[in-house]
Amino acid sequence: MTSRRARRRIETARRVLAHPGALASTLFLVLTVSLAFLAPWVLPIDPLHQELSASLEPPSAQYWFGADELGRDLLARVVYGARTSLVTAGGAVAIAALVGIPIGLVAGFFGGWRDAVLMRFIDVLLALPNILFAMALIAVLGRSQLAALVAVGITGVPSFARITRAQVLSLRQRDFVLAVEALGGSSSYTMFTTVLPNSLSPILVQVVVLSSVAILLEAALSFLGVGIPPPTPSWGDLLRTGKSFLYEAPTYAVLPGIALTLTILSLDTLGRTLAAVLEDRREVAAVPGREEGRT
Amino acid sequence: MTGYVVRRLLQLLPVLLAASLGIWAMIYAVPGGPVASILGENATPEQVRELTARLGLDRPVLVQYWSWLVSALSGDLGRSLHTRDPVLHLIMQRVPATLQLGLCATLVGLVLGIPVAIASAIWPGSWLDRALSGWSALALGVPTFWLGILLILLFSVELRWLPSASSYVPFLESPWQAFRNTLMPALTLGTYVSGIFARFLRASLLGELKADYVRTARAKGLRERDVVGRHVMRNALLPFVTVVGLMLATFIGGTVVTEAVFTYPGLGRLLIQAIGSRDYPLIQGCILFVLVIYVLMNVLVDVLYAYIDPRIEYS
Repeated sequence: MTSRRARRRIETARRVLAHPGALASTLFLVLTVSLAFLAPWVLPIDPLHQELSASLEPPSAQYWFGADELGRDLLARVVYGARTSLVTAGGAVAIAALVGIPIGLVAGFFGGWRDAVLMRFIDVLLALPNILFAMALIAVLGRSQLAALVAVGITGVPSFARITRAQVLSLRQRDFVLAVEALGGSSSYTMFTTVLPNSLSPILVQVVVLSSVAILLEAALSFLGVGIPPPTPSWGDLLRTGKSFLYEAPTYAVLPGIALTLTILSLDTLGRTLAAVLEDRREVAAVPGREEGRT
Repeated sequence: MTGYVVRRLLQLLPVLLAASLGIWAMIYAVPGGPVASILGENATPEQVRELTARLGLDRPVLVQYWSWLVSALSGDLGRSLHTRDPVLHLIMQRVPATLQLGLCATLVGLVLGIPVAIASAIWPGSWLDRALSGWSALALGVPTFWLGILLILLFSVELRWLPSASSYVPFLESPWQAFRNTLMPALTLGTYVSGIFARFLRASLLGELKADYVRTARAKGLRERDVVGRHVMRNALLPFVTVVGLMLATFIGGTVVTEAVFTYPGLGRLLIQAIGSRDYPLIQGCILFVLVIYVLMNVLVDVLYAYIDPRIEYS
């Protein structure tokens, strides 16, 4: 059973990577992630070290990406900024999933008043555009990396809740779920061992999509000056300060933007390819005569 | 129809109440409480007592929320802690600027997005379709604030054609100045929106092109131009109206990031400034204002959709 699932996962991965765009995206993401976390060993430059004589120096042999207004190495700041972005986005997606998936699971599985109450709660979260919701939360929590992480995470809760709920609703009356219940499986047993594992495909796609949204949202918050506080390097903050020196050092704001854009584009491409492959697989897997179970 | 509108508005009530409670409670969740953050660290106990009484913070919590809600409903959102101006007045000053930018950006989005969608839907899978889909992905993926920076580098730093900081000039007052000041922000935001529009309309068109009536129209020998232009477009545009409406709703809620790039004096910048100076009544007012507009616009879009598409039932 497990080996069949593992084999199916390998098959999915193989088919995703068969797309050249998805392959390039994966390679870029692997490179970014390893560079971000191995930075202290690969790139032994302190992103906080100031060398005022090098202030706003253009890209050169010594400073590959140039130096910022305080003479800090911009390559190091972009690389360490990747770490900030990835950690914040990863934490945010984890919060969104850990809160959103149980909400959708309970709402879809039990229906009735639980569904009504939980979905109204989700409606409240959706009553503001994401970025404003995050800004309001940060206004309360104060400006810190943790606040940015939590704020971005909470804005992601509705999408996980809704997708999980829709998936659960489509599975709820399927024979195999009813069978587990008829055999005496408790609600929580049925939910977590039968319904949830069969809902994972769209949730997985959502994880990838939301990672891209989270990176963008965090960068936007930092760009607005309400996200991650300096001196911690982050892509959004680099663009914010870089924007003040467009005339003196044009590359300052361009290079961090390339890193940010490529990361977002890679995650988008990967997410869309994954969605297409999983969707395709489900259609192929649907044996004629068996109900489709998609609503 | 009227019943449907009333029912939708009634459904909103609990959401609006809960959200307003959240916004009101915001100020109490601030570390140290509102009084300390207004007076600063060196306040004497008398000053604290006096301000607490003046703000009505010594009354029971529910009474406080009720009186806040009642005055908010009558348009009194309190006064800014810094300028002492009425919050609603400060907000209304900024609304025209944001509205003008939002409308221009939507226009740019439509002009760039619709042709892209039509071209790729007519020849799905072709090299043109793939190139245009790639363009849409790019439009959606490039962060608006970075695109804005690139535009400033090109048009202001390099070519020196346009001002790098945009100010708000009403179109009717001075069309040329308004154009110069709104072009870059509208292009920045519009490019992103065109990606959404193109992707959505393409899917919508492809869905319609598979319909039976298209086969019939082709079978009776109608020119492809008429099939697409007369039959398919009309049906595909129905759900598209919803997307455009929702985009506008988001824009009225603020074009925060774009305004920040171009230091454009809209609602979004007001909120950023309020957060920066811990002006809590102003923060609450801005967010409540956006919330109400955003939620009402969403309902309006639903109602409009039901109105223009008779197949949708009001129940």
